[in-house]
Amino acid sequence: MLKRRRWIFSLVAILPVLAIFAYVRVYPIGEILRLSLHKWDILSREKPFIGLANFQELFGDSLFRTALFNTSIIAFGVLIITLPLALVLAALIHHRTRSRFASFYETTIFIPHVVSLVPAAMAWKWIFDARLGPLNAVLSVFGIPPQAWLFDPVLSIVSIIVLCSWQALGFAVLIYLVGFKNLPKSLFEASKLDGASGIQQFWFVAVPLLKPITLYVSVATLVSAFNVYAQVYVLASDAQGAPGRQVRVLVLDMLENTFRNYRVGYAASEAVVLLVIVLILTAIQFSLLREKGTR
Amino acid sequence: MASLDIANVKKAYGDVEVIRDVSIGVPDGAFVVLVGPSGCGKSTLLRMIAGLEDISGGTISIGGKVINEVEPKNRDIAMVFQNYALYPHMTIAENMGFSLRLAGRPKPEIAQRVEDAARILGLSDYLGRYPKQLSGGQRQRVAMGRAIVRNPQVFLFDEPLSNLDAKLRVQMRAELKELHARLKTTMIYVTHDQIEAMTMADFIVVMRDGVVEQMGAPLALYDTPSNLFVAGFIGSPAMNQLPGRLVADENGSRFVGAGDIAWPLETSIRTDRPVTLGIRPEHLVPAPDGQGVPARIKLIEQTGSETYVIAHFGETPIVALFRQRLPLAIGDTISLTLAPGAAHLFDTETGQRLTA
Ligand SMILES: Nc1ncnc2c1ncn2[C@@H]1O[C@H](COP(=O)(O)OP(=O)(O)OP(=O)(O)O)[C@@H](O)[C@H]1O
Ligand SMILES: [Mg+2]
Repeated sequence: MLKRRRWIFSLVAILPVLAIFAYVRVYPIGEILRLSLHKWDILSREKPFIGLANFQELFGDSLFRTALFNTSIIAFGVLIITLPLALVLAALIHHRTRSRFASFYETTIFIPHVVSLVPAAMAWKWIFDARLGPLNAVLSVFGIPPQAWLFDPVLSIVSIIVLCSWQALGFAVLIYLVGFKNLPKSLFEASKLDGASGIQQFWFVAVPLLKPITLYVSVATLVSAFNVYAQVYVLASDAQGAPGRQVRVLVLDMLENTFRNYRVGYAASEAVVLLVIVLILTAIQFSLLREKGTR
Repeated sequence: MASLDIANVKKAYGDVEVIRDVSIGVPDGAFVVLVGPSGCGKSTLLRMIAGLEDISGGTISIGGKVINEVEPKNRDIAMVFQNYALYPHMTIAENMGFSLRLAGRPKPEIAQRVEDAARILGLSDYLGRYPKQLSGGQRQRVAMGRAIVRNPQVFLFDEPLSNLDAKLRVQMRAELKELHARLKTTMIYVTHDQIEAMTMADFIVVMRDGVVEQMGAPLALYDTPSNLFVAGFIGSPAMNQLPGRLVADENGSRFVGAGDIAWPLETSIRTDRPVTLGIRPEHLVPAPDGQGVPARIKLIEQTGSETYVIAHFGETPIVALFRQRLPLAIGDTISLTLAPGAAHLFDTETGQRLTA
């Protein structure tokens, strides 16, 4: 009896949150799914149902395919750079936790994550600048000829990956640090007595035990990287007077289809594809990182 | 196998001295138990031996070699932690073989040594499981297995049985003793449980507040505790401690205390200072009527083999233990006297044992 009353109370207590969540999260997703099956030009009152026609068109659309390709390269590039780097940095910071500079290190690494995106991206645009940027200046010291970072089709994507990783790193390090702080100290002591060096402790004890954290960080990083837009907009889009070629990403393509081409249904179908990709990747990561046995 | 020598060791965290000038010599192959109340520095001392804590002063040597500055992994010691500290992501076999793997031993050798240790500990059927899939006692055994596999010079145990239930604790106690008899490796065992200390040790070290109060064989500590602390700590139920004075006249010595206690003592000790009479519960014996000191019975506990009687001499409570069954009831008065030669005398102020 009491149990049931408590159950009802809990339900009532979380209902408002659930309602808001449903309204701002679930409803738009449903709406996108619905729109993706319709043809709509924003203005007209008619939204004819066209089945999967939008999707059929998408796969023949070279702009979409370029955007999908670029976005995937960027997302995985960011993941591959951020994950190991964050793990190692967090390990180093954790290792030096008792040093007076520990909080300085943590803050330094976390700042990029809280700095406003556009000014930060502007700064990086200057860093990457072919003629005036410090990056090329530094490279020239090592005898490397100046590179057209934001012109070259490959280098401009590399530049975006660097910018996105720089931003994602702080968050990842922070989460890993929490993970490190929660690892039982006695395991490290035991492994020390077992003869493990610092690097062996990291590799054989910390990394496996941080698997759940790695899962979370990689999902969060990948999902946010798949939604890359502003960084590209500042660094390499025509609207910002990109020096050369525009790097097309999925969100940009969606925006163009919606507000320049007035094809909302079509853009919605792109969003659905993005959603499906992210869901599949998340599922893969979960199964890859699922812990062995029933521990 | 090696001897272990702790000489004038100190440990300070900032201004706080938690180990103050401790010296213990552990002969090769001995089973030594460090015992003392919580916070007395047992774990700290053990961790200094293991190399998990720096040594603030003095030296620790293993097999005659000073190891103060030697890396933990080169000290050739193995430690069993209170919470076992098993690697949760490794199977039992991997847990036990981890140190050998790190040492770069060939795989067949690792497998062989892990299997041997598992057989000794009855873990052969569990080698493929993960720690989460084992019971507390089995995990405890894996932790010991991890230590055995390395075949170290010295084993260190930090309260390894405190997470087990009473029955399992008794069983593991026996297994550990058996293991020691088989391996004959030097073992240092930390506990705050004096029963564990008494039953397992070749040699007990009683600590309090970072100093050694007394060390010696279990029965030596029981029979001749060198101060009130050890007297109260070793033995269960604890030794009765009755404050009073020694009176000596032509009839011999008598102990006179509160609650009309007056017992004749055969002792050559003479002192005017306040003394404390220590008397083990089993050394209080029923006296024939008219002799002894009457005590009023407050509580009787029967275990079957023994009878514990809690009684008051006036206001002073005491515990007596009888092996024979007596027709007693709560509220009765029982006349008690001392078994011959069973009295311990301590200086009340210094707490030190008085000797003739
Ligand atoms: N890192 C530390 N900094 C300051 N004081 C410490 C530190 N570690 C331990 N101490 C102090 O040292 C003393 C001894 O601690 P220790 O862990 O050795 O006690 P113990 O005898 O093992 O007790 P228990 O039976 O509760 O395990 C305690 O008073 C404790 O507060
Ligand atoms: Mg302890």
